[in-house]
Amino acid sequence: MQKIVFALFLGWLLATPSTAMAAGKTLPYPIHQHRLDNGLNVVTVPFDSPGLAAFYIITRVGARNEVEPGVTGFAHFFEHMMFRGTDKYPKEKYSAALKSIGAAANANTSQDRTEYHMVGNAEKLELMFELEADRFQNLKYSEHEFKTEAGAVKGEYTKNFASPYQQLREKLVETAFTTHTYSHTTMGYFKDIVNMPNQFEYSREFFDRYYRPEYNTILVVGDVSQQQVNALAEKYFGEWQRGSYVSEVPVEPEQTETRYTHLSNGSIPPYISLSYKVPAFSDSSMDMPALDVLASIVFSNTSELYKKLVIDEQKARFLGGGAHDSRDPSLFTVQASLMDKADIPYVMKEIEKAIEKVAKEGVDPQLLATTRSNIKYSFAMSIDTPTVIARSLSHYIQLTGDPESLNRLYALYDKVSEEDIKRVAGKYLRQQRLTIATISADEKGALK
Amino acid sequence: MRLFRNTMISLLVLTFALPLFAIEVVEHRQPQANKVVFMLRFDNGSIADPADKKGLTYATAAIMTGGGAGAMEYADIQRKMKPWAAFYGSGVDKQVSSFFFQVPVDFVGEFYPLLKNVLLSPDFNEKDFARLMKSQQNYVDQVVRASSDEDYSKFALEDQLFRGGNMQSLIQGTSATVKNISLDDIKAHYNKVFTRNNVMLGIAGNYSDELLQRFKADMEKLPATAYTKVKPSVARSPNGIEVEIIAKDNTFGSAIFTGAPLAITRADDEFIALMIANSWIGEHRKSYSRLYQKIRETRSMNYGDYSYIEWYSNGGRNQLPPAGVPRASNYWSIWIRPVQIAKQLQAQYEELADVKIGHAHFAFRLALREFDLLIKNGMSVDEFEATKTFLRSYSKLYAQGPAQQLGWLMDSRFYGRNDYLKELDALLEKTTLAEVNSAIRKHWQTKNMFVTIVTDTSEAQALADSLINNTLSPMSYANVVKSGLSEDVLTEDDEIAAYPLNVKSVKIIKSADTFK
Repeated sequence: MQKIVFALFLGWLLATPSTAMAAGKTLPYPIHQHRLDNGLNVVTVPFDSPGLAAFYIITRVGARNEVEPGVTGFAHFFEHMMFRGTDKYPKEKYSAALKSIGAAANANTSQDRTEYHMVGNAEKLELMFELEADRFQNLKYSEHEFKTEAGAVKGEYTKNFASPYQQLREKLVETAFTTHTYSHTTMGYFKDIVNMPNQFEYSREFFDRYYRPEYNTILVVGDVSQQQVNALAEKYFGEWQRGSYVSEVPVEPEQTETRYTHLSNGSIPPYISLSYKVPAFSDSSMDMPALDVLASIVFSNTSELYKKLVIDEQKARFLGGGAHDSRDPSLFTVQASLMDKADIPYVMKEIEKAIEKVAKEGVDPQLLATTRSNIKYSFAMSIDTPTVIARSLSHYIQLTGDPESLNRLYALYDKVSEEDIKRVAGKYLRQQRLTIATISADEKGALK
Repeated sequence: MRLFRNTMISLLVLTFALPLFAIEVVEHRQPQANKVVFMLRFDNGSIADPADKKGLTYATAAIMTGGGAGAMEYADIQRKMKPWAAFYGSGVDKQVSSFFFQVPVDFVGEFYPLLKNVLLSPDFNEKDFARLMKSQQNYVDQVVRASSDEDYSKFALEDQLFRGGNMQSLIQGTSATVKNISLDDIKAHYNKVFTRNNVMLGIAGNYSDELLQRFKADMEKLPATAYTKVKPSVARSPNGIEVEIIAKDNTFGSAIFTGAPLAITRADDEFIALMIANSWIGEHRKSYSRLYQKIRETRSMNYGDYSYIEWYSNGGRNQLPPAGVPRASNYWSIWIRPVQIAKQLQAQYEELADVKIGHAHFAFRLALREFDLLIKNGMSVDEFEATKTFLRSYSKLYAQGPAQQLGWLMDSRFYGRNDYLKELDALLEKTTLAEVNSAIRKHWQTKNMFVTIVTDTSEAQALADSLINNTLSPMSYANVVKSGLSEDVLTEDDEIAAYPLNVKSVKIIKSADTFK
């Protein structure tokens, strides 16, 4: 609804000047990287935000790493455990110290990473380092605390379950992926969540595997210097010991035919999504940038299809689409919320026709130029606070481990050609790679 | 001297040439920013809707920003803006409507005529009307009940608090009233409540003086209709604890919101004293607040528990309080995120196969008991000092950049303040513990509250019986949690389970019958 758009808008803050611009790069601020002897990468981006700093730690572990049976949702659960204290900072003392910083501090987990962040007073940077270094190296919790925290995760699942779209998401990934760990959501299966209290020993193993320098990147953006950040990193994280564990994430076999899933629910408007298997993120291949540009041209609110289905025919309440950046091959999803369930087959056909047209005829060069400009200016207007810059860099750190991937990706956007778009439409947006998910009041989906 | 006299004459002429008063403008210039932000705040909101056409202000703003303008169709406007990545939108709350526009400096000259058209020449055509009203109707019919039980219980609490008054309805209206809205109503409403006489302008970023003057002059051309300010209804006083349970099928938990009228707002210095107490007991999304520690961290009951002394928009998404939703008619509230229901506990744990009721009654008792303890004992010196220090730092994050700062500045004017965030820091510094404890006793009580609980149909009757009969509600832990709980917690649980509540009425309402 509009209120959500408004809130998002207010979250986009205005740009402030940089003291040192990174010439020729999309992010106009230099990205300083320093790798400690133990392999921990420390990234600093000085930014003119007087008195304010964003301190992020990106742990490149998410639902993707949940390879063993019965532990889906564990990366997310472990994120909760990271707030349970250490010997030096037991829970109550940790909470008091966190409160004294006066920061906005939290964490979140996705399929490829767990992200811990504090945004607050730059003068408290050393305390931020001390607290984070302590829990990342010395986390300690009792079995009872572990079991207790599992209830909070169940509570989170309980609140999310109210949304039918979340319920469909579970079914969609389970259908689209048969082997890879992307077959479960970050929250995990409910039966595994209920069983989490019994996984105490596994949780110690989990910490030992992944909370190691080689899985983590420290990122500080704001009113700080590279020297200051590096010195604090050496002081507080220098003794952190490397680990040796490597996840063996199973490879998803090639899909050979269209798959279907359906949620019977008449409490919300009918819905359809078409999800195609597409490659993993890369900052050197043209495939994903071309798919991003295609999504904007064919499925955004300025597209012909949007005008036809949403504005002129008014069969869809909403239409949108795009690829999901991920470490392993994932999904490009086109989705539409409809007025009438009888239109589900029609809308699906129109989406497929739009894709087919691009695969055969390509796109208008003027639209391509327009979209490139949109991508460039959208990003430029967004990067105006330490939080937004840190969040943007964190996204690319999770994907490749290297924040410079951001600049490399945006350089690729400038080179996407009409031929690239035609090629990726024909190669990836095909029925053999497709999973269709629907919601309607009907017991079975209308398409199969 | 002659020059002075001529200047005076010019000023007099100018004064008479202007309308009765100039439109208020809030400026926040950032010469090195790469964009310009325009905002307009209309003093209207959903309270300006006619009773039988609730949702009209929302619909009018929606068609202004989601429809055609000037000679251009909506799709053509969006396409024209695409290379610039410019965008605009609107947000309607109960007492104000806000419009916002953002554009890179490189394209502000080309973009500005579009802004002017959206505000001064909205197209209001049948095609846009049909599309947007279907969406609005769909929201009030289905989406609000089906997408988030937490938001549902929050909106339903407001329905109880303001029942019979102009603050009662959802901003988007109700199933019945949205049907009554016609395109002619929207055209008339635009002329009536989106006027030069109830607007405040805001501009931030890298803009020229010439652009500012043009913006001010153009917005003088908004409808000149005389605007009579609508007074928001005040929250009703509950008679004891009045509970409404909304029964839905296939719901996983019980989502709880409870609240009561509050006489003060940001306009009052005493509000800052209460803010310190509220932060200690229930700061939004903070693990070190009391309710969170007692309900989530110690007892593993849900995802989080918070309290509020003013409207907090979109709490599930926002980590920090957003600008743009100021209100003069106020209440305080407690948000208990979904707790387990009996059906789920039975299915999950063998040892709980016989439970008849989930955790809602216990959680509600716990929350009110914590408030009663705070009212009785007040905050300690240490708690007070730590919370005050926290808030003085944390509140600086509310407006991290000029656009947010502009929003907070415009909100400040709503409350009769010049720069609320700046004043807040000074007020926090000088607030004393005695003032905080006095504000707690003066403004908080738990004997008279409205409560809404969205829960599963299977849970509703048992929960209703338990609440109205003040039945003992022992906490039903799974063995894995219970075995490690300390004696102190278990003893406290016994007190909570028997904690008397002044429940005077409990109603069960089917989801389809809410918001009527």
